[in-house]
This record gives sequence, C-alpha cells and structure tokens, in this order.
Amino acid sequence: MAVSDGSTLPWVEKYRPRRLDDIVNQEDVVTALKNIVQTKNIPHMLFTGPPGTGKTATAHAFAQELFGPRYLEDGLFVEINASDERGIETIRERVKTFARSVPFGGYGFRILLLDESDQLTDAAQHAFRRTMEQFSTTCRFILAANYSNRIIEPIQSRCAVLRFKPLSAEMVSEMLKRIAESEGLKLDDEAVSRIYEYSLGDMRKAINILQSAASLSSKVDPVVVEKAMGYVNRGEIRRMIELAFDGKFSEARDLLRQLIYFQGYQGQDIVLAISREIPNLFVSDEVKVRLVEALGETDYRIAEGGTPEVQLLSFLAKLALVKRVSV
Amino acid sequence: MTYLWTEKHRPSKVSQVVGNKEAVTEFLAWIETWRKGRPSKKAALLYGPPGVGKTSLVHAFGKENGWEVIELNASDFRTREVIERVVGAASTLGSITGAVGRIILVDEVDGIDVRADTGAVQALTRLIGETRVPIVLVANDPWDPKLAALREMCQLIQFRRIPKPTVASVIKKIAASEGLKISEDKIKEIAEKSGGDLRSALNDLQLAAAGDLEVAERDREKEVFAALTTVFHSGKYSEAVAALQNLDLEPAEFFTWVLDNAPDQLTVEDLASAMEFLSKADLFLQRVNLKQSWGLLRYTVPLMTAGVAVSKKAKPKQFVRYSYPSRIRFLSSTRAERELLEGICLKIGRALHMSSRKARTEMLPFVKLMLTHNGRGLAEFFNLTQRELEYLKGESVSRPARKARGRSP
Repeated sequence: MAVSDGSTLPWVEKYRPRRLDDIVNQEDVVTALKNIVQTKNIPHMLFTGPPGTGKTATAHAFAQELFGPRYLEDGLFVEINASDERGIETIRERVKTFARSVPFGGYGFRILLLDESDQLTDAAQHAFRRTMEQFSTTCRFILAANYSNRIIEPIQSRCAVLRFKPLSAEMVSEMLKRIAESEGLKLDDEAVSRIYEYSLGDMRKAINILQSAASLSSKVDPVVVEKAMGYVNRGEIRRMIELAFDGKFSEARDLLRQLIYFQGYQGQDIVLAISREIPNLFVSDEVKVRLVEALGETDYRIAEGGTPEVQLLSFLAKLALVKRVSV
Repeated sequence: MTYLWTEKHRPSKVSQVVGNKEAVTEFLAWIETWRKGRPSKKAALLYGPPGVGKTSLVHAFGKENGWEVIELNASDFRTREVIERVVGAASTLGSITGAVGRIILVDEVDGIDVRADTGAVQALTRLIGETRVPIVLVANDPWDPKLAALREMCQLIQFRRIPKPTVASVIKKIAASEGLKISEDKIKEIAEKSGGDLRSALNDLQLAAAGDLEVAERDREKEVFAALTTVFHSGKYSEAVAALQNLDLEPAEFFTWVLDNAPDQLTVEDLASAMEFLSKADLFLQRVNLKQSWGLLRYTVPLMTAGVAVSKKAKPKQFVRYSYPSRIRFLSSTRAERELLEGICLKIGRALHMSSRKARTEMLPFVKLMLTHNGRGLAEFFNLTQRELEYLKGESVSRPARKARGRSP
C-alpha cells in the first residue's frame, strides 16, 4: 500500500519554484525583482519572512533570470549559510575570494546570498557590513532572514528590504493538490486542511507533511496525516513539562538535553514552544501568569547570554512547585 | 590534561602506525618512486573508515624523515583560489632535482562541497598534473562520484578497520603510559565499542580517565566531593565560598558539578531556589567568558556556592553520593552519535540549500519518516552512507510514535 516511486527526490526540492513566475503569494516581491532584472540596477537586498515562504528559491530564481541558466556554473551566484560558517572571519574570507575578481560575461558583478543571516551575532553583522561596503563594486549581496529585527539597522539601511508573507491557506492547498496529482496520490480536502493546521503558511513544512504521509499510504486522508505527524511531532516539550511537574527533574533534564543536542532546538525555540503550551496546562490562571513571568525571565536571560540549558533547567525546577488543578 | 590524547599519542614514526601494514608498505613504495624522481602516480588517495591512521601515517612519515607536511582540510575553504594559493605555491617551489622533503596533504577530500567550493576538484586535478611534490589525498569514501576524475590520477591505497585486539593492546599501552589503573574489562569494552576506530577508542579512554573513580583523577575528585559537601551541607556563606577557593578547579568547571549534583541533594522546593541562584551565576559566568570581565566572578562564585548553600532548608533524608557531572557523561557517551547526526544534517542541508541546523530542525523529522517507508532513492539523493541510512531508520523504529500533540485539545 505504500507508494513506491516519487520519493526519490524530496518533494520540497522537486517542486521548488525555479522561475520568478513560479513563486506564489509574493506578488510585490516578484514585481519588484522583475523590475530590477529589467533595469539591471541591482541594489543589495534583504529578504525577510517566516520559514518556507520562498526566500532562498526566489534568490536563485532571480539570479537565473538575471544571469541565465548557467548562473551557478559560471560562478556568478554563490550561497553562503551564515549558520554553517564558523564565525565571521570565515565568511569574510569566502566573500573576499568570491568578490575579489571581476566575473566574466560582462555583468561586472556577482551575487552572494547570505542565507539565515539572522544567525549572525551583532558583532558579526557589523563586521559583515564593512565587507559589504568593501566589495560592493564587484558584488551584490542578498541577505535572507526570518526576522528583520534581528538584522542590525546599518545593514537594513543599505539594503532594499523585501518582505515575504506567510502563504495563504488557498495557496498551500493549491500546491498540495498539484503535487498530489502529479504524484498520483489521493488527497482529500480534509487532509489538506489538516496539513495546513500543522504547517500554517510554511510551504516547506506543508510539502514535507504531505510527502511523509504519502510514504505511509498513497491515499492521504486526515488519519494518515495524523499518523505521520505522530511520528514527526512527538510532543516532547509537553512531556518535558509534565515530567518537571511530577518532580521528575532528572528525566526532564535528560529530555531537555535530547532536544538541544540531538534535535537541534535552540534555547529560544524551546522557550517559544513552552509559551505555546502554557495556556493549555491544567493549572490555575494565577499559576499560568506566574509561569509566563518565569518564562519571560528565562527568555530574557538567554538573550542576555545565559546558557540556554542552564536557564531552562532553572525554569523546569520551578515547575515542580506548581500545583495542578483538575479540569 | 588539556591535551587530546589522540594528538598526544599520534605516531611520530612510521613503524608506530598501528595496523594496516599493507597500506603502509604501499604508501612507502609510492613515496620511494618519488624519491627516485619517477613517481608512478603523482598523487595517492588514502581511503578507509575514520580513525584508522590515514592522516597519522603521512605525519609520521614527515616527522621521521624531516619532510614538511603542508596540510589542508575540510575546515579550510577550498575554492580554486585558495587551493592554488596554498597548494600551488608549495607544489612548484620544490627543489628542481627530485622534489623531496615536502608532502601536500589534502584531508577529507570527500568533504569538498561541489557547489560551495567552486572549482575545487578541477583545481586539484590540475595541480596533480603539475605538481613536483607528492600530493596525498585522504577520504572516507573514495567512490564519491565527484571524486571520479581525481581517483584516476591517484594511486589508491586502502585502509581497513583496526582489529579489536589490536585496538585493545594499543589503548592498554597508552593507559599504562598515562599512569591509569584500568580494568581489563573496561579496555575490552572500549575496544569493542570502537568498531576498529582507534581515534574514538583513544577519546573514550581519555574520557574514562576523566570519569572513572578508579583512575588517576581519583584524588582530585575527592577534593571536589569535599567541596560539594561544604556547598550542600554547611549552610554558611563564608564556608561555601571558601570551598571553591580551596579547590584547584575553574569556577566554570565546578559550576557544572554543583548544577548536576543539585537535583540529587535537594528537595523539590530547595532545588527551585538553588537553580534560580545557579541560573544567575551562569549569567555572570557567561559574561566573564564573553567579555573577559573577570570582576564579575565576585558575583558568580557566591551565587553558585553560597546561593546553593542557603537554599538548602530541608535536612537530607539519607546520604546520596555525589556523581560525575551527568552533562559531561551525556556529551561523551553520545559524541559519536552526535557527530554522525551532524554529518547527516550537513548533507541534507547542502542538498536543499540550508544550514545543517535548519536541516536538523525543519527536515530531519520528516526525512526519517520518509526513509523508513521507502527511502533508497532519497538516501541516494542526500548521498547518505549505509551506516547513516541505518542510523536514521533505527532512530524512528527505536523511538516509537507517541500521540501527536501538536494541536491544542
């Protein structure tokens, strides 16, 4: 009953938009970029928007329309991932080697995409700003980030800021149906809206859920979606909170470490996930407020440079003091 | 003990390289052809699983014969320019008469990212054509398609896993030279776990030395335990603060001991209070590290010692032994697994234009599920090794599904 083919490629790759016209839901951005291609007057740009809204794909599509299909092979476009490169010095070094020489083909400049640039610390961003200026004659920069407020003001002011919107339910549904058809899946409407509940405006997530569900059955209904999400979303944050409530501190601690060191959660991801759980906890409203207060303090201390693991442990220790109420 | 034993005990002579006698002979024969000025192939590709001595052999040869080894590895960014600048100069500036005395070592060539390291493979290929000194490439997986062109220009020298009894005898010798008292069983266990990877065995041995009560660290650990006793039982500000001052341990290190022992020593109420002080101590401690503002230790130390001491209100029901910090245990026991996972995430990230971090959080959970149900093609797409594939599949089997709780009730 499992599907056999179709999953030789991740669908997020297979159905990645290749041209600006394929980018959905970002009309303003696409119009602006097309104008830029026309005039060949390229500013530095900052793409901001939530995950799965098409920032990286758009940067590639833009470069392709500007430089032609060999934009990668000809070395006219390069992608650097801020969170993979160790430190700003490494990035500068790579930018230097890339931007130093004038490219062939008469373009006079190349494009460098710095993806996940909100992962750079403030200090690193300041250093990067100087790099931008140093090489702006031969290189244009596109920075992509989830949150524009994590990009320092001096960089923002040097960039044209293009904002990507979360995808609407219609767009997601349309895309999922298109994929289902081309992959020979049966996908019912209820399953589509269930997927949207999990993914919201994140197209990457929506497509991943669909492919995961399709790996279980070629007939994708809400039950299959739930089953897939059961594998994927194990409710570990909730379980960690419950362990801490029950005074099983050491077990909660082990789970926290699992989340940080294996699943790659960053401190503030966990804080965010906990904050979403608080309203649903079986505790009095007063306790909820106290928890929010404590969590806010945790968040603040992490932002101030505290070790996420230690700060969250301190929060978990507080949970054991909380009285639960039955509902 | 700041040294990594894997570095400290690297062989300095070819004869000290453990195992893989055939490979060593083959390597020496190849170098010999260079010495005679008529190399059979200009480059050699040493390949095989990690931790079996590929890189060590080259360095050992260099040390023993006074040859300079110029090393590039995956952490260097290997665009064409960089390779040409570093390797190119080194490869042509040899003495004209038989280029002896210098080896260029390019580590982890299978880690070259075709997309990011523009032209690296071509640059290497050309260099091999032009070089006047031996070039040694090192890789785990020589059959990687992107290495096809390189492969043909190289003498292929295969390294195999080191037999477990050999691993055992090596770590036994090193344990003795480090003055460790270690049981036969423990040695066996380490050798068994190593899977023929001597490097990981040495790392495990070093960790055992740091963690095991029976080894040389014993005396120091006694002192730490005494300091912990003062922190958890004295209840007095000055005594608790003095506990650390009398101890030859960095505050950050002692912090971990206190943090990880606190849950066993304190009641739920006292723990919450102690953890609050510890989290503030952490905040200052991180600032000490980040900004080198040593003055802040004047807050860190009292908070992490006296803060815990005064938090303890309830008398202990019974004595609970102190233990080696669980955090360090966790990190060491999961190290190999975490490295494997990181490698997987890097591959996924590269294939999909994202960082390994993002690949881990946004792709991995889904990829695991897709792989379990029919994943050959996907595994190929991501370029996963058999081991990586099995690991991912095993992962989702060994940790069964729990009810989805993503949505609110």
